[in-house]
Order: sequence, then C-alpha cells, then structure tokens
Amino acid sequence: MSNKQILIIDDDPDQRLSLRLPLESAGYIVHEAANTAQGLVAVKQVKPDLIILDVMMDTATAGFQLALDLHSPDPKSEYKEFRRTPIIMLTAIHSTTPLRFAPDEDYLPVEIFLEKPVEPEALLAKIKELLGE
Amino acid sequence: MTATRPTANQEAPQKPRVHPQRRSLLEAELVSSVAWIIKLRWIAGVGVLAATWLVENLFALDAAEVSLFGIGAAILIYNLVFYLVKRRLTRRVAPISSYYALAQWQVALDWLAMISLIYFSGGVESPVIFFFLFHIILASILFPTRTAFGFTFLAILLLTVAALLEYFGVVPHSPIRGFLQTPLYANGLYVSAILLFFSSTAIITAYLTTSIQANLRQREEEVVELSENLRRATVRLQALNEAARVVGSTLNLSQVLERLVRTTAEAMGVRACSIRLLDKSGRRLEPVAVYGLSQTYLNKGAVELDANPLAREVLSGKIVNIPDAPNSPLLQYPEEAKQEGISSMLSAPLIGKDGPMGILRAYAVEPNRFTPEDEAFLAAIAAQGSLAIENAMAYQAVEALDQAKSQFVRMVTHELRSPVSVIRSLMRTLTGGFAGSVTPQQKDILERVARRADFLQSLIDDLLDLAAGKIDVREREELKPVALRGALERVIRRFEVSAREKDLRLEWFDQTGGQPILVMGTADILDRIFNNLISNAIKYTPPEGRVTVTLARRDDEAQVTVEDTGIGIPEESMPHLFEEFYRAPNAKEMEREGTGLGLTIVKDLVTRMGGHISVKSTQNVGSQFTVTLPIVQPYDAIEADEPRRLEGAPG
Repeated sequence: MSNKQILIIDDDPDQRLSLRLPLESAGYIVHEAANTAQGLVAVKQVKPDLIILDVMMDTATAGFQLALDLHSPDPKSEYKEFRRTPIIMLTAIHSTTPLRFAPDEDYLPVEIFLEKPVEPEALLAKIKELLGE
Repeated sequence: MTATRPTANQEAPQKPRVHPQRRSLLEAELVSSVAWIIKLRWIAGVGVLAATWLVENLFALDAAEVSLFGIGAAILIYNLVFYLVKRRLTRRVAPISSYYALAQWQVALDWLAMISLIYFSGGVESPVIFFFLFHIILASILFPTRTAFGFTFLAILLLTVAALLEYFGVVPHSPIRGFLQTPLYANGLYVSAILLFFSSTAIITAYLTTSIQANLRQREEEVVELSENLRRATVRLQALNEAARVVGSTLNLSQVLERLVRTTAEAMGVRACSIRLLDKSGRRLEPVAVYGLSQTYLNKGAVELDANPLAREVLSGKIVNIPDAPNSPLLQYPEEAKQEGISSMLSAPLIGKDGPMGILRAYAVEPNRFTPEDEAFLAAIAAQGSLAIENAMAYQAVEALDQAKSQFVRMVTHELRSPVSVIRSLMRTLTGGFAGSVTPQQKDILERVARRADFLQSLIDDLLDLAAGKIDVREREELKPVALRGALERVIRRFEVSAREKDLRLEWFDQTGGQPILVMGTADILDRIFNNLISNAIKYTPPEGRVTVTLARRDDEAQVTVEDTGIGIPEESMPHLFEEFYRAPNAKEMEREGTGLGLTIVKDLVTRMGGHISVKSTQNVGSQFTVTLPIVQPYDAIEADEPRRLEGAPG
C-alpha cells in the first residue's frame, strides 16, 4: 500500500468521487479542492505527491493557469517547491473553446493530459508511472 | 417656399438656364468667326491697295489715290490691332462679352472703311457699292437677327446720306476720273434707282442670311440640348445600374448604404446625399450613411418625427422637393441647413414590404436645384435602394439568428456533456469494482447502462461537431495547407489494432508516387473525416473482410478512396445517406448503436475544405467512398508532408 498524497482539484463533486474511489482502493491518500483558490491553499497544506486537475473550472482555462502557477520557473515563486510535482490534467477532447490542449514538453515538463471520462485503470497506470512506482 | 410633387418648380421664376456646354459651343462659334473675319480682312485691305494700284497704273484712270491707299492701309492697320486684341483674348480665355465687343468694333470700323471707299471711288457711281453686301452677310453671320438688320439699315443710311450730300453738293464729288464719261451722281433718277436697288438687295441679303443662320443656330441648339439630355440620361442610367449592381453585389448593410449615397450624389451632381432609417421605436430617424455632409450638420440633433413635418411627409410616401431649405417651415433644423450651405433638398421615401423604412435625401448648394426629372430619378434610386437595404437587413438578421442558434446548440451540447461524462466516470468505478463488489447480474446491468451512456456521449460529440461546422465562417478555424498523406496515415495507424482484432485486412495504397499532397484544411478536420470513414468501413465489414484505403492524384485534385467488402448500402438508402440521423436498415441491424451523424459530419467537413464526396455501393458486396479535395501548391505550404512510414516499413 502506497501512502502517497494525491490532490484532486475539480469543481464537480461527482467527478471528484469517480476519481477518489479508484485512487483510494489503490491505497492513495486523497484530498479534494473544489476550485482554483481552494486548490492553491490545499497544495501548500497537503504538499501532494501528485495533482489531478480539471482544466475547465471557473473559466475555460482556469486549470491551465493553475498548472502554470505551480510549475512556474520563477525561482521566487511561492510554489517553487511544487515545480516538479506531476500534474494530470483532465480535458474534454470536444472542447468548446478554440484552444486545443496538447502536452508541451518544453514548457510543462511534468504534465500529463487525460481525456474525460477517465478509465480508472488507465488513470492508475498513469499515476504509477508518474510517481515512479 | 416649399412644394410637394405636383407644384414643384412652379414657384420662384427661373432664369432660363443656359447650360455651360451650350454656351461654350456658341462661344466657340463667335470666337472662330471673329478669327475668320480678321483673316478675310487682310485680303480685303491688300485688295483695296492692289485695286487702287491697278486702276492707276493699268487702266490709267485717275482716282483719289491718296485717300484710297489710305483706306487700304487703315484697314490693314486696324486689322492688325484686332488681330493683337484677339490673340490676347484667346490667351487668357476672355469672357464671351469681350469677343462680342470686338466683333461690334470690327463691323463698325468696316462700315466706316466701306463708306469711305465708296465715297472716294465715286459715291453712288462707285463700282464697289455692292461690296457692302459681303459686309452685310458677315454681320448677319456674326450677330443675332436684330443687330444684323441694324447694321444693314446703317449701311443703307450711310450710302443714302453720302449720295444725298453729293447730290446737293454739300460735299465734293470724288470720282475715279475716266471711269464714267458723264457723272451720274447728280442724276436724280439714277441715284434713286441705285439707292432703291441697293437697299432692297441689302435687306433681302440680310433677311436670307439671318434666316439661314437662325435656322442653323436653332438646329445647333437642339443638337446641343439633345446631346446634353443624352449625357444626363446616360449618367443617370449608369447610376441606376450601379444601384442595381449594389443590390446584387453585397449583402453587407453598411456597404449597401454607403454605395447608395455616393452613387446618388455623384449621379445627380449635387453636394451631398444621406440615408436615414427609422429606429426601433419608429419615431426617430438615425443617419446610417452620409456622403458630403459635415459632422457638425450630422450632430445637429435627433430627427424626431413629431418635430419634423418633412420627415412625416416623406415617410407617408411622397417625394418632397424643397427649393429654399433655410426658409422652409417643413424643416426641423432650417438654421443648421443654412449654416451648412444647403439651399435645396430632395427627399424620397425608402419603403420596404412592411412599410416605410427611412429617407433618401439629396442636398444641393444651389437654391431650386431639383427638377421633375431629378424627382423621378431619386424615386427610382430609392426604390432600388429599399430593395437592397431590405435584403441586407434580412441577411443580417438571418446571419445573427444562425449564429445564435449555433451558439445555443454548442452551449446546450456542452451542458449535456459534463453530466454524461461524470455518469460514465462513476459507472466505471462501479463496473471496475472500486466501490465494492457487485453481483454478476448487477454488473451486467451496470455495463448496459454504461454502454447507453457511452452512446449518449458519442451522440453529443457528433452533435457538437455538427453545430461547430455550422458556425459562421469567420468563427471557424483558419484553413491552411496541410499534408494529406500524413493525416491519412495517422488515422490508419489508429485502426490497425481494431482491424486486427476483428480479423480484417486494412490495406493502404499510395498511388501518388510519394510527392507532397497539400490540401486546404486543418489536421483536425482531415482526422475527423477519415476517422469516420475508416471506422465505418471496419464497423460494417464482417470478419475476414478487407478495408482498402487508396490515395491518388487526378490533375489538381487528391482522391482518397475508402473501400470495404462489407454489408453495403441498400439502393433505397443511398439518397438519404448524408441526411442527419439517417441510418440504413442493414446498418442498424448489424450495429444497434450509431448516431447517424457521422456521414453528415464528413460531408459537411469535406465541403468546408472545398471538396466533395461520392459513394458507390452494392448490398452484401461492399461500399466505396471517394473524397475529392483540391490540391494547393507546395509553396503555400506551412506544414511539410511527412515521410511515408507505413508503406514498405518493416512489420
């Protein structure tokens, strides 16, 4: 049993539940935040090993912005200790925004994109990979 | 001073308008006549000198030599003066009155020279008397009838006075000696006869010449008038034609309005033109297009129907001609019109099928500028313009509606997506046993629910695609040259596993010889097109069948053919194949779930890329879908074609 901490930042409680169940059954300790602001507070409190982040929350790119803040290359960033914390971004492939997301390896080195709905097995596999288990 | 159509232009007595072009033609005639007479006079002057010399030396007659030479010289001298004056007038483009004065001076001096010549060559006995007739002819050509007759009577008077003075011995007789044996100047009968015949000949000459001249002038005026009418008619016809072209050429409302005002002002040759349209309240007129008016004038204030009798009258369907705008009681802002320098206005109603829409108005600097023809013309432009404006407005409304509808569909679809997505996620946790174990029967039910949720998801996704495709062109993703082969190969790779699982052969043939094939589109559009076609082929082909994808080039077009050995399409289903939600009965039988939107989306996307799709099929044998896309030249390329990886690659 792993005792790694995972933070889910998603504004949909049902979506959070659907993520929590497989994670807990795999032995992870799961924390939740319902929006960007809560997420930033929780990050500092929980100091998660991995973050699952919904891209579309308050705005169409709120999650994206949060990931940029956490992974800021600025050495004075208040989140600099989370710069290497892996983030799994949940996206909808049929996004209504013209922005199409794709992993940009130069800019966001430790981010993985997963399409909704999430297959629990696929999610767990990705997490294992990211946490080096 | 205002008047509506029936009484327009009957007030304010008009000066007969001399059209610039007509005046200039008559001017040109006078100017050329003056020059011509100056040329003739050189000959006349030299002629007098030569004749005098001949008379003296060859015929050995004795004339009043000094006087005759003097007259010849005087003619040449004053002709030189006239010549110089004329040259100066020509240089600085003098007004026509100067030429008229010059002509009168010429005739006056010619008359003086002529009577002197007659006197010194024997008065009533003189053989040169009849030379006066030339002068009369010239005067008749140069001047209007009345002036010509004046000069004729002056000639008769001069000759009569000279004859009488000689007859009564008041002045000495000055004959050419040796010409006549017996002097006749004192012979009353002879003198009366000569005067009588000269007078009648002079009057008849003047009469004939002026009549012919008057006739010619009238014809000329008619021709000038006609050609002027023709010119104006042509300009207006062009303007009407332009207005008609505007109706057809654009559906952009502001462009239609802007072209209408410019065309109208230019065709009528007036200072300005404007279009005001009724606002939503129907009580105010808002300027929507203006040509030639100052901002100050436009900012003069709102045009309220309640305060504006003119607007009310025009909107009731009348053409209103205001010949004296600053003093018109119909105007809401006469003072502002005065400051703007506008003296007359002509307004025509713009009437749509639901009643009056607004006013088309022409503004002129000159008072009383607009004629009944102008009224008819503006009415015609307004009729054409109303049509154009209405069409553009209708189009705008449809465009807005279409956009709103698409926006709505997108929003609704998005709102549908998230709960379905969450349902599917939650179902996965149950079927995956992450929320505790379930019985086999419960698991079966959960899986059925999950399948339905999956179908709902794909239906929503397709609807979203369809709605996205119908969004206004400007909002669509920018099309750019993309490599067709690369996109195709990516899709084929994606289906390799599912084809193998179903025991199908998925074949890929590139018949282009490997040259880059670029088409206008986006990688995403190409992906969706071929994803749909190939997944259909795999879905509807029974195991051990074959799916073949071929890329070929036909001139400037790329052809992608997706062929299968599947269930085929029944003939009666062919016409409905691309209809939204349509599914062929044999397809439904084979695959219960399917949205019937895939081919609709494919056709929509192919059309967006400027291509077309065709289908051939035989039931129980197979189907063949061919997508044809126009090829763009490589130098337009942004994305280079990828090297081929599949064909000939090991494994």
